[in-house]
Formats: sequence, C-alpha cells, structure tokens
Amino acid sequence: MLGRLRTRYFRNIWDATVSTVCVLAIAYLAIRFFEWAILDGVWQAKSASECASRDTGACWAVLPARWRLLLFGLYPYEQQWRPALGSLVLLLAAVLTCIPWFWKLSRIVVLWLTSFLAFVLLMRGGILGLPPVSTENWGGLALTLFLFASLMVLGMPLATLLALARQWGPRWLRIGVGLFIDLVRAVPLIAIMFGASLIVPLILPGWLSGDKLFRIVLGFAAFFGAYQAELLRGGFQAIDKGQIEAAKSLGMRAWQYQLTILIPQAFRITMPQTVNQAVAGFKDTSYVAIVGFFDLTASASAALGTGDWALAFVEVYIVVGLVYFVFAYSLSRYGAFLERKMASGHRR
Amino acid sequence: MSHSNEQVGSTNERTPAVHMESVHKWFGDFNVLRDINLTVAKGERIVICGPSGSGKSTLIRCINRLEEHEQGRIVVDGIELTSELKRIDEVRREVGMVFQQFNLFPHLTILENCTLAPTWVRKMSSKEARDLAMHYLAKVKIPEQAEKYPSQLSGGQQQRVAIARSLCMNPKIMLFDEPTSALDPEMVKEVLDTMISLAEDGMTMLCVTHEMGFARQVANRVIFMDSGQIVEANSPEEFFRNPRHERTIAFLSQILH
Repeated sequence: MLGRLRTRYFRNIWDATVSTVCVLAIAYLAIRFFEWAILDGVWQAKSASECASRDTGACWAVLPARWRLLLFGLYPYEQQWRPALGSLVLLLAAVLTCIPWFWKLSRIVVLWLTSFLAFVLLMRGGILGLPPVSTENWGGLALTLFLFASLMVLGMPLATLLALARQWGPRWLRIGVGLFIDLVRAVPLIAIMFGASLIVPLILPGWLSGDKLFRIVLGFAAFFGAYQAELLRGGFQAIDKGQIEAAKSLGMRAWQYQLTILIPQAFRITMPQTVNQAVAGFKDTSYVAIVGFFDLTASASAALGTGDWALAFVEVYIVVGLVYFVFAYSLSRYGAFLERKMASGHRR
Repeated sequence: MSHSNEQVGSTNERTPAVHMESVHKWFGDFNVLRDINLTVAKGERIVICGPSGSGKSTLIRCINRLEEHEQGRIVVDGIELTSELKRIDEVRREVGMVFQQFNLFPHLTILENCTLAPTWVRKMSSKEARDLAMHYLAKVKIPEQAEKYPSQLSGGQQQRVAIARSLCMNPKIMLFDEPTSALDPEMVKEVLDTMISLAEDGMTMLCVTHEMGFARQVANRVIFMDSGQIVEANSPEEFFRNPRHERTIAFLSQILH
C-alpha cells in the first residue's frame, strides 16, 4: 500500500511536489467546509439574520423551518401525509424493480401501474373521503418523483411502440412516426412545456384539453419517448435477423417475438444509453418550474422567497443538489448493476 | 388448434409431406428458383446439394415461407401456402428449421430457448413445456446445459440445442439449412449423429448440406441443384456412382476431391 503510493504519487521531485500541493489544497478545502458546515453551523434560529448573529457558519436552521416546503411544495399542510405516503409507494416500487423476480413484463407492468395509480389517487383525492387537491398545488420532491415516474411509465412504452413502428411498421406508419420523432426532437423541451400548458388549451375545447399538469406530463413523455425510441431502434438494428427467422420458423407471431425476443434484447443492448436518458430525464423535471409548478427546484427558491431565509440560499441549494445527486447516482448504480447482471449470462 | 388440418393432412398417409409444383421465384431480375417440381413423401429424407447461389437454401426456405414463392404451388402436409397468414402459421407449426448460424436467442437460457415457442404458440403450461424441453435436450445429449446461456456452449452444442428447440414444437417435417457449415470440424460429427438419430425415428427431413457421408448413410434421395433448377435427383448410390449430368459430375469432382 505505502509502496504503491510512493511509486504512483512520489516517484520524483515533480510528482512529489504536485501531489503535496494537491493534497494540501484538498485538505484545506475540506477543513474549511467542515468548519463552515459543522463547527460554525447553526441548527436553531428563527431567521437567516438570527443565524448570522449567532455564528459565522452555515445556517442549517432553514431546514427544520422549511423542509415541508421542499418535500411537498404548496400541498395543503394538514394533508401532507398523502404526498409522503405516495412518494414512499413510488420509492418502494423503484426498489422492488431492482429485484429480479419482478423482471417479467406482466409483473413489472402491474407493479408500476398500481403504484402510479395509488400515487395519483392519493394526491388528487376526491375518493375515500380524501378532500380533493388540485394538481396546481402538487409540489416539492413529491412532484419531482411524480414527473419522473410518469416519464418512465408513459415514456418507456411510448418509446418502445415508436421504435417498433419505425423499424418494422408498414411504410405509411414508418414515415409518420419518423416525422413525429424528428418534429419532437427539433423542439426544445421548454417550448414543448409552454405549448402543452398555454397553446393546447387555446386550440382544443376545454373538456378535451384536460388538466394542465397532465398535459405537461404528456408533452414531457412525448419528448422523452422520441429520444428513447431512437436509442431502442438502434438496439433493434443490432439484433441479428436470424433470430427473427428462427422465431418465425417456430410459429411465433410478430407481436410474440417482438415482446419476448426483440424488446428485451434492445433494452439490454442500449442499457448504458437508456440509463443516461433516465438520468437526464430526472434532472429535466426541473423545467416544470418555468410553467408555474413547484417541483423540488422551484420549491427551493420558494423556501427562500420569504425575507426570513433569503440569505440561506447556499444551504438550501446544497441540500437540493444533494437530493438530485442521491437519485441520479442511484439510477447510475442501478444501471451498472443491471449491466453486470446481464453480462453474467448473456455475452454477445 | 391444428385438429382441423390434421384431419385433412396427417390422417391420410399418402398425402405428401411437401409438394412443389412449377415453383418460380425471383430476387429482382435474378431468377433464383426456376420451375421447381418436387414431392417429398412422409418419412422421406432428402439431401439437397449444389454450388453456392444455386437456390437450394431458397428452396427450403420457401417451404416454411421465410421466402415467398411468386409462381406455382407449394402444399405442405395438405395445406397450400398462400399469403393467408393463418395458413402460414399452420405450416410453420408443422415444420421445424435448423439454421447454419444456430440462431439461438442469446438472452435466454438453453431451457428457455426450448420452452419459449411451446408456451407462446402451443399455449403449454410452463411445467409441460419444461418437461418436453428436458426430454429433447436429453435426446440431443445436453440436458446438463439447460441452465446455461448459448454463449457458454460450443458451436456443436448450440446447434444441437437448436435442433432440440425445433423438436419441442413436435414438427412433422424438419428443414436443415447447412447445419454443419459454421462448425469447427471436430464438432460436425456430434451434430450429424443427432440428425441421423432423428432420421432413424422416421422424421421427414430436407437437408441442404455438403456432408456426402451423411447423404450416403441417411438420404432416400439426393437432389442436385444448379442455377435455380433441379438438375438431377436420384438415390444416393446411383447419384454418387452414376451421376448423369455433366454439371453434377463437375460438382462432385470438386467436393469429393
């Protein structure tokens, strides 16, 4: 260990100098951060200015005062157990998805549809004596999780259908789907969100245009689906045509071998890029702030909005960044786990 | 499911397994099959040989409609092949096929490769399908590999799995498209032995192959094709001893060294 350290970082005077300087710089920054965050941090105060009067460090007191806003946004305070429970259901579904027992189409579909439905019913209310809550009041981390879950639940099947249609559909469908994908990809996500929230209700009659949040979710899913569809199409093209012939010769119909042979392999082949898309999609959920929803990011700025805590913005954004990091990093690790799991059996 | 055509087809022992009547096919301008007339009786074993590009693979691929013929009639076990999807499905359930490149499904285990079609197409329970698959994996002598993935097996083993996978659908006719051409020499025999034991069980077989030893031992008839035509068809003894056509003679002198 020591020997390796020496040959790697202290082989000669230059290496030793650079290594020493770097180590000192890192140590300095770490100590300063530790001082600021822990030693001089303030955990109890009524406002940011009170923090400043107590000590020079981080004003963590903003968290106990504002955490409900970060987690649940503008959702009615006394009803916030509903987004809490709903988010737990979604997180539980995500954890269960990691268990190989659920890696069967029927099981994964049932798992996600029920947890997604449970979340929406809990949040909307209007049944089982739950007072209805308008989607405009959904917010915080709960809204971010909802957006991401709907992106997966709607966007992934959409992407699969688009890719299948573009790869093997009849000519008119291939052209239509190609046009749709190119159009959606040519427009920035922000424009799609503005279109979904502002332009669609101008064009469609009221009863057809539906809820603003659900319009945005659909637009977002279409955007995600268009990109993901092209990834999957690449995956389809990488599968040897001989497998299709073998499936046909066994008497399988097109939908049967697409479901059991082509789609699973396309997802395996494109797993690294698919995880990439999912992580990007997770972070893109913060765009809904622009069309007036209080997701995690927007709730953070709302938490600072009152004069009391405006100075604690560094602390709040550190925490928000950490939350995004935890989710995005978990997604990457999950992707890496899937790849390892598949590589153990399936080598191409 | 296939009861109706069983009454039309297999109950009558004299219905030919395959009947082809003036079949033509073109790839663009290229006339890949010209006026093919061929009748294969039930239980008959046919070996088809010929130079590359002679249309022999296309011929057997027309029998399960992986290729579409453009003229003439193809009747498989009493079912005429048309563009009607229902008939194509019926024929494909009767006809098994083994490919040069094995074409196993790489993301499924050996066992799953064998149970997939029986569960989806024959609607078997997973227990039934599993028992059936293990029966045929034992027949091709690799039951111990059932839980492995195709990439973990040798080429010869993979090809035997491919044969077992076809047999799990209980086909009446088996098509072999150069089943040993992609194999290392030391693995050819294990695959041929499997095919021989299949022949001994009375399976109707059409094999595109250049394994002339196999042809001598197993075939009832050897067919020589060139430029999309059947040039010569004869019993193996006559075919090898007295080839009549000069193109047959030239071909045999090339492959028999």
